[in-house]
Amino acid sequence: MSTAAGQLSELGQARVQPARAGAQQSRWSHLLYAAPFLFLYVTLLVYPLFAGFWLSLHKADFFGGSRFVGFENFVRLSNDNVFVGAIGNTFYFILLTVPALAIIGLGLALALNRTTRTAAFLRGVFFSSSVLSVTIVTLLWKVVFAPDGGFLANLFEAFGKQPVAFLSDADLALPAIAITTIWWCIGLPMMLFLAALQQVPRELYEAAALDNAGRWKTLWSVTLPSIRRTFALVVIIEVVLQFQLFGQAYLMTQGGPNNASRPLVLFIFEVGFTRWDVGYAVAAGQILFGLIAIAAMAQYFVARRKEAF
Amino acid sequence: MTTRLASGAVGLGDRVILAATIALAIVMVLPMLWAVGLSMKSNAELLVDTNSVLKAPWTLRNYYDILIGSGVFRWLLNSIIVSVGMSLGVLALSSLAGYGFARLEFPGRNVIFVLVLFGLAIPEQAVILVRHQLFSDLNLHNTYAGLMLPGMSAPFGVFLMTQYFKAIPTEVDEAAMLDNASRFKIFWRVLLPMTLPAQATLGIFTFLHAWNDYWWPLVSGTNEQMYTLTVGIASTQMNFAESAGLGYLMAQAVFAGLPILIVYMFFQKYIVRAVSGAAT
Amino acid sequence: MRRLLATLLGCVALASCGVHQAPNEIVVQRFFGTCKAEYGNRTDVENAEGECGIMTTLINEFSAQNPDVKVRVSPVAWPGYNQLAAQLASGDPPDLVTMHLSAISDYQSRKLLEPLGKDLRAAGVDPNGFTAASLASVSKQGEIYGLPIDNWAPLWHINMNYFRQAGLVKDGKPILPRSPEELLAQARQFKQATGKPYFVQALANERAAYSRNLYTLLMQQNVDFFADPQRVQLQSPEVKQVLEMFRQIYVEDLTTKNQDYAAATNGFINGAGGVYLVGTWMIGDFDAESRKLDRPLSSGYAVMPWPQLYGRDATFIDGHAWVMPAKDRTPQQRDAIFRLLKFVADNDFEWSRTGHLPAYQAVIESERFNALPHRSEIAKISSTGAPLPSDVQRQFPVQDIIGEEMAAAITGHKSVDAALADAEHRVNDLLFHLL
Repeated sequence: MSTAAGQLSELGQARVQPARAGAQQSRWSHLLYAAPFLFLYVTLLVYPLFAGFWLSLHKADFFGGSRFVGFENFVRLSNDNVFVGAIGNTFYFILLTVPALAIIGLGLALALNRTTRTAAFLRGVFFSSSVLSVTIVTLLWKVVFAPDGGFLANLFEAFGKQPVAFLSDADLALPAIAITTIWWCIGLPMMLFLAALQQVPRELYEAAALDNAGRWKTLWSVTLPSIRRTFALVVIIEVVLQFQLFGQAYLMTQGGPNNASRPLVLFIFEVGFTRWDVGYAVAAGQILFGLIAIAAMAQYFVARRKEAF
Repeated sequence: MTTRLASGAVGLGDRVILAATIALAIVMVLPMLWAVGLSMKSNAELLVDTNSVLKAPWTLRNYYDILIGSGVFRWLLNSIIVSVGMSLGVLALSSLAGYGFARLEFPGRNVIFVLVLFGLAIPEQAVILVRHQLFSDLNLHNTYAGLMLPGMSAPFGVFLMTQYFKAIPTEVDEAAMLDNASRFKIFWRVLLPMTLPAQATLGIFTFLHAWNDYWWPLVSGTNEQMYTLTVGIASTQMNFAESAGLGYLMAQAVFAGLPILIVYMFFQKYIVRAVSGAAT
Repeated sequence: MRRLLATLLGCVALASCGVHQAPNEIVVQRFFGTCKAEYGNRTDVENAEGECGIMTTLINEFSAQNPDVKVRVSPVAWPGYNQLAAQLASGDPPDLVTMHLSAISDYQSRKLLEPLGKDLRAAGVDPNGFTAASLASVSKQGEIYGLPIDNWAPLWHINMNYFRQAGLVKDGKPILPRSPEELLAQARQFKQATGKPYFVQALANERAAYSRNLYTLLMQQNVDFFADPQRVQLQSPEVKQVLEMFRQIYVEDLTTKNQDYAAATNGFINGAGGVYLVGTWMIGDFDAESRKLDRPLSSGYAVMPWPQLYGRDATFIDGHAWVMPAKDRTPQQRDAIFRLLKFVADNDFEWSRTGHLPAYQAVIESERFNALPHRSEIAKISSTGAPLPSDVQRQFPVQDIIGEEMAAAITGHKSVDAALADAEHRVNDLLFHLL
């Protein structure tokens, strides 16, 4: 693409020399286009990031006052069972949600990749949950999971069984939140896969049909390899997204029971706004940043290597 | 992609897949149906037994109570203002910056662009506490600007628009320059309209992100008049000494969710196209 | 181009819109729930029931009587401290906010609250009329930082109909245990006779209740767990005893399980068990419930302070007050604020109909207060009740930590020893690292 344009521009250069020269000239005034964004970017993203680095080396109170303590906050974090647990919870949560989102999303996309009205309607149903805001989602699912009069509880009782208290069981709390999240977020992966499926060249399918390939063979050898990049994209997007789990845990379980469902972001929120220990909270935020960056980069490199081009 | 049997009929496999998908769709809709059901029963009846959802009588009393007294309308308005405002702001800033990075030369352009890309990895939670302090010092809390600005500093939009502008052949620029159009005119009249699909994608993503945002509006829009929908609905959920009643809460949730669902239903085609556009 | 610029300027103007407070408008922020549907604009305080109803009608009546003042009420989810912290940090706090007595020193020590003494006296409110406990809780360094409205305590709310069935009523009064062993015995007896759990407790999504019950039972054992206000001592046999008792009750199904606060409250009303462990604020509601016919609590409600299970008769108490965050205000606003405070102070009796103990000596001693149902049974709390030592800081986060660990131990997610060790470690870490 770039080489073609380069060739063409060389052609054009002869004819429109004067204008071309003006365009190539590096001007400070051109910076004006990017300036508004850069201003916000530097003041609201870059500066707080570096200020955060600095602040994490202090002991600071939410309402003012700070004292330099070096790496003490990070040492404290490593000894903090709640923090370590929160990291574990976050990773566990990603394990619970991302594969499910990718696989179910792919399955739905495969099943609904047709032009019938039923398919269009069903696609709409599966995407509709994604437009609801997180606090509505938690409200809905709390009355589904509630052991007293919740939807599932009533269902259990109708079958003569004891209702299960999902949100108060340490083993079930995070999976329950995961189910809520999958329900909420399934639309995006499904749509991304649908778009990718529609980009698969028909010739590939026709060739497979000519070879009398069955449904599964086609899926395995034609469809899946063609959407590999999208699969990687979905996984990266969802990992970064679910690393930031907050609302569901805050409103459904408050991180309990026994720290079983406290994600990293809730920890940061509680330490900052409830315990007023700002330096400590920001230090935890730096660690979150580091983890996300590592996860994103790792996936990027793995995806890069797999593409043997 | 259906497999056609020799006879031309749709295979059994397809039927099973369809049935399974429909079953899954029903599971998807159940929580929403349950909430609607709860919203149509009196609080007193629900107090005794929530199974009463399945039995008459049903009532619209909760909806009436919301109409006369709930803050949900103000919350809805705030959410709309913030989401639309943030989306427009992001579109404007990202388009301008994208054009600048894609088409114009200025000192340090490439270095700056790479630095902007790095910003993609920064999660909001790593900067939110410092941002909060900054906004406190600047007196920006409890303003619409305070709720919109953080979202406009995210580099995703710039990245998207830069790629999109780069993909437009430079001949288009050159053709316009033959007419002696100024740089800005080329941007505004010629190139920008060509980026409509990207704009739609970016606009919708930003809108949904702003609509769903919880933590920042929670700590910045703390005045009840500035509650966005997420914060307002959340404020009804903590349940110590809460006296609003289950039916009322559910009606409020329905009220809060309905507008966006309706918008979604009408704009489904465009939303789908926009989201799919992100995959390519 | 001009149109573009005009639109741009218009947008910027809109964006910098925030919330404007009129010079005669005050913002009043409180927990206690929202009940707009039922109480809306009603001003008939005498007919209102419950914390939300009475507070709403009180403020409505004040607004009606003072048309020159605009009062904007902002109900927040309990306890509302995260939000208040954000508001204080942003320099835009409400004019009056409800605060627990135990939390006042946290904000006062950071100069976030304004002293009220002088203006209260000028408005006609005499701090010497507060009860001793209330006065002590709002006074810091010789100044008054809040207008107390009540003291509250954790109580035993009893379903007398079930108690009668279990043979635990004598001379019209409930039979209560006098030791942990007796508690278990009576609980078992209750379960056997009625098939219902003895206790109704909010065990899920709950932290405060656990800590308050613990504090009560430690005070009864004369354990000075905050002898050093910067260090808590929880790894002692007395503390372990209390946790093990609750654990035993849980294991033997002598309590309801998995209920959050709303479910437990509804559960008790619907007859889920014998004794609901919650505080003074429900007395009004439960009493009203007991006057209905054909309900589990019909003519069968009694309430008692925590029975004396150990050597000393004691109960943990806390209370509520209105505090004024530090902020620049117009003279009109200050005037409005103190007028409202005077009004609230004058109507403390109405507030006490919730079940909370009044903050004014005169009201406690008044006939009409003592004529309120069940008040005589809990009257002794005025002398047996005590808060945590006032120089213990961050009492709410401490309460959350202890409650979270207790919940883990009692529901079996952790051993009692591990829970106590972790609770002690976490609380001391929090207190040690305060700036």
